[in-house]
Amino acid sequence: MHGPTELHILERLLEDNEQLASHNQEHFDELGLLAVNLMSAPGAGKTSLIKSTAKLMPADCPIAVIEGDMVGELDVERLREDNIPAYQISTGRACHLDAQMVAQLLHTTKLPDCKILFLENVGNLVCPAEFPLGEHLRIVLLSITEGDDKPIKYPVIFHNCDAVIFTKSDLLPFCKFSLEKAKDAISSLNPAVEFFVVSTISGDGLPQWRNWIVEKANKKISHLHIGL
Amino acid sequence: MHETAIAKAILDRITDRLNNLHHASNATAVEVRVGEFRNVDPESLSFAFDSLKKEYPTCIACALNLELIETRALCKDGRHEYKASADNAYRCPNCGSAIGTLVSGKELDITKIVVSQNK
Ligand SMILES: Nc1nc2c(ncn2[C@@H]2O[C@H](COP(=O)(O)OP(=O)(O)OP(=O)(O)O)[C@@H](O)[C@H]2O)c(=O)[nH]1
Ligand SMILES: [Mg+2]
Ligand SMILES: [Zn+2]
Repeated sequence: MHGPTELHILERLLEDNEQLASHNQEHFDELGLLAVNLMSAPGAGKTSLIKSTAKLMPADCPIAVIEGDMVGELDVERLREDNIPAYQISTGRACHLDAQMVAQLLHTTKLPDCKILFLENVGNLVCPAEFPLGEHLRIVLLSITEGDDKPIKYPVIFHNCDAVIFTKSDLLPFCKFSLEKAKDAISSLNPAVEFFVVSTISGDGLPQWRNWIVEKANKKISHLHIGL
Repeated sequence: MHETAIAKAILDRITDRLNNLHHASNATAVEVRVGEFRNVDPESLSFAFDSLKKEYPTCIACALNLELIETRALCKDGRHEYKASADNAYRCPNCGSAIGTLVSGKELDITKIVVSQNK
């Protein structure tokens, strides 16, 4: 046999990430918590939302946070100011968290008792969509200042998520942002999605969002107990 | 720029395959199927692949051939199959309903490696 040979195969790329993501989910299930991947463009308000949500959490629903950032520990420090347990993952050149980074943290760190673990992804509407981390819920934040055309421009992330939170709703009077148009665009990509409209400045919409996420956590946890 | 991560995954897979062959071989081409609904920019992927392959001795001469797959969906209400695109806001052109399930567009697979045996 000389000359060129063709190997016909079918190998899925990024499959390693998916396998590790399922592995992470087993860890999350064992820990009895709801893991929530928070994704958005830079500065849409992920850290602010976590800080405000923590203040409204019932005492029996503690939270913890894994922070993904390319450099620095700024967000972790902001969370610790409020005594929210927070763990940094520096993604370096990668513009997203991946399942390997989360697995490594889970294997080396003992998380505190909590019912909800937020995974704050790197600010980016493209890459995080391609790397599941093992989360139970995928949530996308879209801030009012980004424009209502973003769902059409970044369809993949809006197609594959459980809820969209419109953030900075206090800025609606100052921006040409049509909630109706944005919701319509997202619904055509993802008809089952839940919507929330919140402001961490005025507090609008936060209780509804808090009720929803607490209910999801309680359901998840009672389900896990039945499973045991 | 997750195209770099994908390019690395392609090169790692090729290397694994070549290591399993009985004869020392090089890869001369690889075919990768990329769905349009996958957030992969073909040009960035080709660029990342060509920069990274220099670090893989058996892949230095390997050409990356991309097969792009369009996004097709079954609509939610009518189960019509259609090409989902920004032009129709991803809705079904037949009945206006939303995406029900994707039929294609999420592919990201290696389908063929062309190998030549070292003399
Ligand atoms: N007006 C207004 N500003 C807000 C609101 N929420 C957050 N901000 C501001 O938006 C900016 C970014 O908020 P962050 O919470 O850091 O956003 P982030 O998504 O965590 O940012 P990265 O992690 O860097 O991607 C800050 O200056 C916040 O004060 C809001 O509800 N209303
Ligand atoms: Mg942040
Ligand atoms: Zn239809």
